[in-house]
Amino acid sequence: MISGGGGGRSSSSSWAPTTSVSASGKRIQREMVELNNDPPPHCSAGPKGDNLYHWIATIIGTPGTPYQGGIFFLDIIFPTDYPFMPPQVVFKTRIYHCNVEPDGRVSMGILKDGWSPALTITKVLLAVRSIFTNPDPYNAVVPGIAHLYLGDRAKHDDIAAEWTVRFAK
Amino acid sequence: MYYRSSNIAARIFDRQICTPAPGTSVHHARRFYENLVPSYTVYEVEFPDHSFRKFTDDGQYLSNKFGLFATSTAQVLDAPADGGAVQGVPSIEKITFHLLRMEDGEILDKKIRDSGNFVHVRAIGEFCREDDELFLNSNAQGMPLSNKNKQHPVPENHVENHMHQGQPSVGNSFLSGVKQRLLSFIFQGLWNEETDDTLRIQRLRNKFYFHFQDYVDLVIWKVQFLDRHHLLIKFGSVDGGPQVSRNADHHPAFVAVYNMDTTEIISFYHNSADELYLLFEKFGDHFHVTSRNLMYMNFISSHSNNIHALEQLWSIKDKASNSSQFVKKMLASLPFSCQSQSPSPYFDQSLFRFDDKLISATDRHRQSTDHPIKFILRNSPHTLKFKIKPGPEAGSMDGRAKKISSFLFHPFLPFALSIQQTLFLQPSVVNIHFRR
Repeated sequence: MISGGGGGRSSSSSWAPTTSVSASGKRIQREMVELNNDPPPHCSAGPKGDNLYHWIATIIGTPGTPYQGGIFFLDIIFPTDYPFMPPQVVFKTRIYHCNVEPDGRVSMGILKDGWSPALTITKVLLAVRSIFTNPDPYNAVVPGIAHLYLGDRAKHDDIAAEWTVRFAK
Repeated sequence: MYYRSSNIAARIFDRQICTPAPGTSVHHARRFYENLVPSYTVYEVEFPDHSFRKFTDDGQYLSNKFGLFATSTAQVLDAPADGGAVQGVPSIEKITFHLLRMEDGEILDKKIRDSGNFVHVRAIGEFCREDDELFLNSNAQGMPLSNKNKQHPVPENHVENHMHQGQPSVGNSFLSGVKQRLLSFIFQGLWNEETDDTLRIQRLRNKFYFHFQDYVDLVIWKVQFLDRHHLLIKFGSVDGGPQVSRNADHHPAFVAVYNMDTTEIISFYHNSADELYLLFEKFGDHFHVTSRNLMYMNFISSHSNNIHALEQLWSIKDKASNSSQFVKKMLASLPFSCQSQSPSPYFDQSLFRFDDKLISATDRHRQSTDHPIKFILRNSPHTLKFKIKPGPEAGSMDGRAKKISSFLFHPFLPFALSIQQTLFLQPSVVNIHFRR
């Protein structure tokens, strides 16, 4: 849609070589093929510009949750030693969720100590999508939201739905 | 519709004995302008202050106020004309002014209070609704209240540089309100276009994720009201601002229709989109939010309401070698500036023909030559009716010097001012054109 020069800006300043032959680059490329062949429902992702190490993902708010109707954009940043280190997943769209830090970073076991090189981008997307349906208030990074979720679920859902309408449409 | 003679006395006689076809009486009457033309010129008039920008719509005053970007407010007939106010115009407190902050592309709505101070009504940009920020703060549950966007108008680039230097981001910046709506609109369009999962994700990768940062980097260039609820917003890249729009080819630009009340993007077009051009060609008048309170304001010729103007547009279109270039060039005028068109009958293209490179109803400065501008009758006998000559009577001293002219036509009387300026800061030459 943008004619010419698309992604040119990111290519000129990219920190990873575009024609990466490194192990991590090959691995990410393989995961891209895998994601293409079998994309998880309501999810999609792809490299931003021609930087293989910086992806954008979109998760469509799961129906039946307070996030329904929202379109959530996320940054996925792969470290150069991927897959030995987990990618960083950050919401670009504001979300009211006890497992998402105020600055948007997703806090999940598999993105920290629970990471395994066997995990893939497809699995990460599925995991992030699952916190829409099943927040984990016992490992929350925003205690206030977790308390409300446990104490007054209806109110929590109302607020989360309002956030979706205001910031994620 | 046709008079038997172009002689004014014969026409008046005709008027006494004939009834024009139903619905054409105004057009019929306007043809008298063919006989009453500003053909007499007084050259180089001493003008104490010629910073006048336009005639008021009722033609009674010359105004030197800048056209304000304001909601179109209906005339109130019983509005008192006190304190220097113009009769019929409601008090200024009832008007909402909309300002666009160029620095970060935020649209700031301001309303003038009784106290005379501007109050902030709405800012579209960082947030969409007036109370979004308040809502965010009251629901923050101990979150840090502001993100980096607040301090830095263009934080994305900082973060970006960070990442590109191999340093995964420390801080994040959320998408601004309008950007979220825009990206979500584009995403959903692409998502719904394709049903096959694999094809869909490939399509998104090439058309959406690849260009994601380009979309994020778009800034608001220009905005106009389509009505009280809808804005026409032009998005472009930071480095291709409106000043250099002549080189617009190198900088992609987009036009979006945004509903301020529902905070929805209604449509989104590339500036070479044929679809948008067709809307522009067929419904051009909808892009002009001109006050239609005065009857003669309805006779401003456009390619959407005047066959001659449309033919002219088509002939340019036919001559254009590259259709997408042509579309871009035509759409470059969107969003239209407000209050920029003169309702003068001498610009009515069903009455007169003139070179619209030298003069037209659109108020802007034009390069001028030493030749007078001819106004030729559109109808039989197609004769030259009058000339408007800006600048000194004998032509300028230095024929090569670049000269810029602007014109102020009275909305309905045969009266006009022409103002010619040379680029070398010489005093401008003001001529008065009228019917003697």
